[in-house]
Amino acid sequence: MSLLPPEDEGDGIEVAWEDQQRINAFSKFNTRLVDIQDQLKAKMEEKEYYDDLQMELELADDADPVLYKLGEAFFSLSLPAAKKQLRKDTKRYDSEIAGLRVKADECETGMKELKVQLYAKFGKQINLETGPEI
Amino acid sequence: MADKPKIELELNPRGIPKAPFVDNVDDYIGTKDGDVEGVIKKFQETSAKYRYMELNLQQRRKALLAKIPDIEQTLGVVTFMAARRAKALGEPEPEEEDAGSDAGSDDIDALLDGEEDEEAAAKPLTTLFELNDTLYAEATVKENGQVGLWLGANTMLMYPLAEAAELLSSKLAGARKNLTEVVEDLEWIREQVTVMEVNFARVHNWDVKRRRSAKGGEEKSLMGEKEAK
Repeated sequence: MSLLPPEDEGDGIEVAWEDQQRINAFSKFNTRLVDIQDQLKAKMEEKEYYDDLQMELELADDADPVLYKLGEAFFSLSLPAAKKQLRKDTKRYDSEIAGLRVKADECETGMKELKVQLYAKFGKQINLETGPEI
Repeated sequence: MADKPKIELELNPRGIPKAPFVDNVDDYIGTKDGDVEGVIKKFQETSAKYRYMELNLQQRRKALLAKIPDIEQTLGVVTFMAARRAKALGEPEPEEEDAGSDAGSDDIDALLDGEEDEEAAAKPLTTLFELNDTLYAEATVKENGQVGLWLGANTMLMYPLAEAAELLSSKLAGARKNLTEVVEDLEWIREQVTVMEVNFARVHNWDVKRRRSAKGGEEKSLMGEKEAK
């Protein structure tokens, strides 16, 4: 992230308190967004494991018990019980991911609005781009 | 705007003071008798204080981020055991959140595996426990409707499953609330640090500009003070 204090440019446009607040808000959204994206990435990864597991369980033999990891220990579950537990876990992840997405969207809309306002005032003297999309 | 009070101590909910924004450098330095160095020194002190707080909070955040998944996992196991226990005792299963969105598919499955489930619940619970890194041992758990929760300080306490779940839920909620507060504080501090940085840059630039315009002012850096009188 690069927020140049506009003064660095020499013949700066005066930064009023409202502008400073906008810059702050933008910076806040930006850090928050990065944080959320990290969390989202981790959750998606976990979710993928569960999806793989789902496929495996579809193919599994009915008679064999499944060793299902809950917390730090593995529990020997019957196939239906394991599927049920899996459904519960998947659902939890789905709702967590959805929640994070909503928060990320909030940040993005907020940033978009601020960008318009800040670019309108400072033009090229301010850089609000994060660079390549994460 | 120009005659903003200089020291207004606005606080955030956790009592972290807000940094004063220097709106007009001329006015600001003017009231401080043109003592630029003093002002800058004060700015640096304030920034250092914020940085110290930030460091502290970052550590708290880290600890909480480690703690929350821990509690979540424990709670997951406890709810699982509680569900098993309820089934073993023949109580109707409290199908909490599951009853919601895709109840349709659940119902079909429930019908299909109803019998088998009961059978499974009656069997003792076989688990693999981690003894050490990469070393697991099989253990059969005798279920008595209680679990031991590690409370810290080398203490473990037995709880009935329902109570354990309750305790963990409240701990989890507490930890999550703490985390949001810490994150809020961090965002707040970040904001104040930015304000301080901008203040610093403004005063510094203002000082440079003034020195440049003052004729022959380059020999003495203290000149600014005298001139301001």
